[in-house]
Amino acid sequence: MSRGETAESLQIAGPLQVGEPLLPERISDITGLGEFGVAGELTAAFLAAFLVGNLMLAMTGVAGPWAKRKITAAFTDRIAVNRAGPAGLFIIVADAVRLLSKENIIPEDADRPAYDLAPIVVASSAMLGFAVIPMGSGVQLADPEVGLVFVFAVAGIASLGLVMAGYASANKYSMLGGLRAVAQNVAYEIPLVVTGMSVVIFAGSLQMSTIVDAQTQTLLDLGIVSIPAWYALVNPFAFVLFLVANFAEVGRNPFDTPEAPTEIVAGYQTEYSSVYFVLIYLGEFLHIFLGGAIIATIFLGGPAGPGPEQLGIVWFLIKIWGVFMLTQWLRSAVPRVRIDQLIEIGWKGLLVLSFANLVLTAVIVGLIA
Amino acid sequence: MSTEIEPRPQDVDVTEDELEALIGDRAIGRDDHLNAPGFVINPDDVQDVLFDLRDEAGFDHLSCLTAQQYQDRYESIYHLKKYVDPTQEVSIVVPTTLDQPVSQSAEPVFRTADWHEREAFDLVGIDYEGHPDPRRILLPETWQGHPLSNDYDQTKPQLVTLSEHENPIQPDHVDSESDTMFLNVGPHHPATHGVLHIKAVLDGETVLDVDPDVGYLHRCEEQMCQQGTYRHQIMPYPDRWDYVSSGLLNEWAYARTAEDLADIEVPEYAQVIRTMGAELCRIASHMLALGTFALDVYGDFTAVFQYAFRDREVVQDILEDLTGQRLMFNYFRLGGVAWDLPEPREEFIAQTRDFLDELPAKVDEYNDLITSNEIFQIRCVDTGILEPEVAKEYGCTGPVARGSGVDIDLRRDDPYGYYENLEWDVVTEDGCDNYSRVLVRMQEVEESAKIIEQCLDLLEEWPEDEREVQANVPRTLKPDADTEVYRAVEGAKGELGIYIRSDGTDKPGRFKIRSPCFHNLSALEQMVQGEYIPDLIASLGSLDIVLGEVDR
Repeated sequence: MSRGETAESLQIAGPLQVGEPLLPERISDITGLGEFGVAGELTAAFLAAFLVGNLMLAMTGVAGPWAKRKITAAFTDRIAVNRAGPAGLFIIVADAVRLLSKENIIPEDADRPAYDLAPIVVASSAMLGFAVIPMGSGVQLADPEVGLVFVFAVAGIASLGLVMAGYASANKYSMLGGLRAVAQNVAYEIPLVVTGMSVVIFAGSLQMSTIVDAQTQTLLDLGIVSIPAWYALVNPFAFVLFLVANFAEVGRNPFDTPEAPTEIVAGYQTEYSSVYFVLIYLGEFLHIFLGGAIIATIFLGGPAGPGPEQLGIVWFLIKIWGVFMLTQWLRSAVPRVRIDQLIEIGWKGLLVLSFANLVLTAVIVGLIA
Repeated sequence: MSTEIEPRPQDVDVTEDELEALIGDRAIGRDDHLNAPGFVINPDDVQDVLFDLRDEAGFDHLSCLTAQQYQDRYESIYHLKKYVDPTQEVSIVVPTTLDQPVSQSAEPVFRTADWHEREAFDLVGIDYEGHPDPRRILLPETWQGHPLSNDYDQTKPQLVTLSEHENPIQPDHVDSESDTMFLNVGPHHPATHGVLHIKAVLDGETVLDVDPDVGYLHRCEEQMCQQGTYRHQIMPYPDRWDYVSSGLLNEWAYARTAEDLADIEVPEYAQVIRTMGAELCRIASHMLALGTFALDVYGDFTAVFQYAFRDREVVQDILEDLTGQRLMFNYFRLGGVAWDLPEPREEFIAQTRDFLDELPAKVDEYNDLITSNEIFQIRCVDTGILEPEVAKEYGCTGPVARGSGVDIDLRRDDPYGYYENLEWDVVTEDGCDNYSRVLVRMQEVEESAKIIEQCLDLLEEWPEDEREVQANVPRTLKPDADTEVYRAVEGAKGELGIYIRSDGTDKPGRFKIRSPCFHNLSALEQMVQGEYIPDLIASLGSLDIVLGEVDR
């Protein structure tokens, strides 16, 4: 797509604050780092990435040791952590110390360095995805034209990490988990991407900011309230498809077969302990959040919400947490499907439906245009 | 087509004379038990006689095999019953000499004899000729001697090291050329319900063969019971077999057997309390079965597990009020129960009624959450198939057999306690799959609630001066020497039977436990062949085994 076409399609899609600075540019402006040339720009970019990365890590820190426990407890008539600090919040610190001070046990036959690299790959692949997500309030690290493809591509790297963890652990349960992870990711990545493409047909662009802007239009005006043209409302069918494929992609219930405690112990992560365990868990939570971020961006209007525009990031985080809550709800209430059933649902069900959705969307968009 | 249908041999009542005629010359003597005619046969005739009894006389249930050593001989006793009518019993006694304890294996006749005879070999030391798999079952393979034989030195400890024992993590014991993978499920695994080790052979995710390795929890409960006096010292042990809240059901197994042996009459009032207590235990046990099965299928400690435990907790509180204990009740006594309902009586009854009133709503909740969930259905319907004929061959009883459409329930078929006088139904399902077994347990909870309701009505109206909780039983019980009895009750998991031979003292000469879980577990290999790993786990969960009872 040439530059001219992009601009044209952007104009069609809606009002665009052309030239709105990205986070690294803002930082370089504020701190004056821009004056130091490329080195300054680079430092500013690092600073920005550091901010966004830490925001995500902090969210994971809250989600893992505390929120997950509290949410599950609420679903299952329990109280969960309530001793350390207000509402048990200090358990986060206690757990961090506990997990990091544990002995890192590495199996004798582990295939190193694959065994050591796997947790890093799993965690970092999710982190990379956040680079192109527009989080509102001007928080976006980069806005390439191929934003959506970039997100899917880097999130897909996680499968590699899972396979590495699976075979490098020299454990049969890990092996089974690793194999399941690949089979599952292959089966669900295609419907995921194809359904994502139907949004691209609407927006006419792969660029994240364009997709978000396209959703600021009004779908229905009901006098006092006007319903925005979020793609979840424009095409709920695609939204549901994407949601399902996303849960399978990040391996959450009812599709958590690669881990499947009670069946294959803990799947690919059976042998990991201490810091590696933390990294793998970090990766899992980051993947849930990244999944939530993608859903929020391409279906729920990104940072859009009532109130001033500065509140964008708050709305965005609320949407991510909404998706996280949904995963926890499913975890508490829905049985796990069997691995063969999972593959069947992927190849025979979701794939067909997602292509049908793509064709349908193309036809409708074509007719209207 | 002829309208006259030849009646199946099971449906025809067999008299003792007919049995005598059937066995004929092969009987070299009689050794009658208290409740069953006993025939002594030669070790070479075992299969012959058992085939005849199964095919001609319809004894299709090898309920128990007791092995024991006398001063001058070894003895294997096959306790046979009929699935249609468990009150029809016959015992086949097979003596073998001390210097050559070899007896023909009954495995070709009854598949369940496989594990029975392995246990007999393991603990007593009788060899079964023609047995397909003559290994130890409860003790480690390197164990020296047979603990229940007379010449075994029980004071000498044995160190059985891992290196001597078969290495559980040795890479492959299967053909290295083959495409299969050998996988140890357990002894430390999230879904083995205790310490169970399943040696599984897999082809990808498909299970080709499983071999359950039990015995990690073996304490030789039989030996411990043989060292206790009938009157008081044995009753605490049954609580420790099936320790997940089936305590009173287990105690009843011993109480019934010992009361038969010593000819003790139990007052009706005590029987009503026993019945109520036993059914409370059954509800608690089935709740736990439901919760853990959901855990196996759902994959996490989910809402269903917690709800099941929440409701089980209420039952536990009631049982605690009644017996003073939450886990090891020790509430039954020979001739009755330890004490009457707790005071204030009205409060206890009201509290129990409250639980029963709330139960239907809770069962509806379970049905919403579990049985009507579509994912649960695709996971459980048509998996872990156990055909009724296979279930009988493997000696399955209880909810496992009833989930395969085998209509057997000792509470109805061989009545004891106060069950005869109460209104309730035996639940069966014809699905033969994991789903049916869940349905059976859930409906049995409702039936148990019905029974408790009626017991409460009775207890409430029972005249105050007739509330006799214990019969007058002598302080020391010494049943006549060489009286033998095998008696069973319907435990939460199935037929829980006990064989006792008295030797004239105040302690049993031989105490043998027939554990329902042990036999239900032996059917696992039939249920999971060709299924996927997740179904192996689900099927194991649907059997609802408790390793304390499997290993004893």
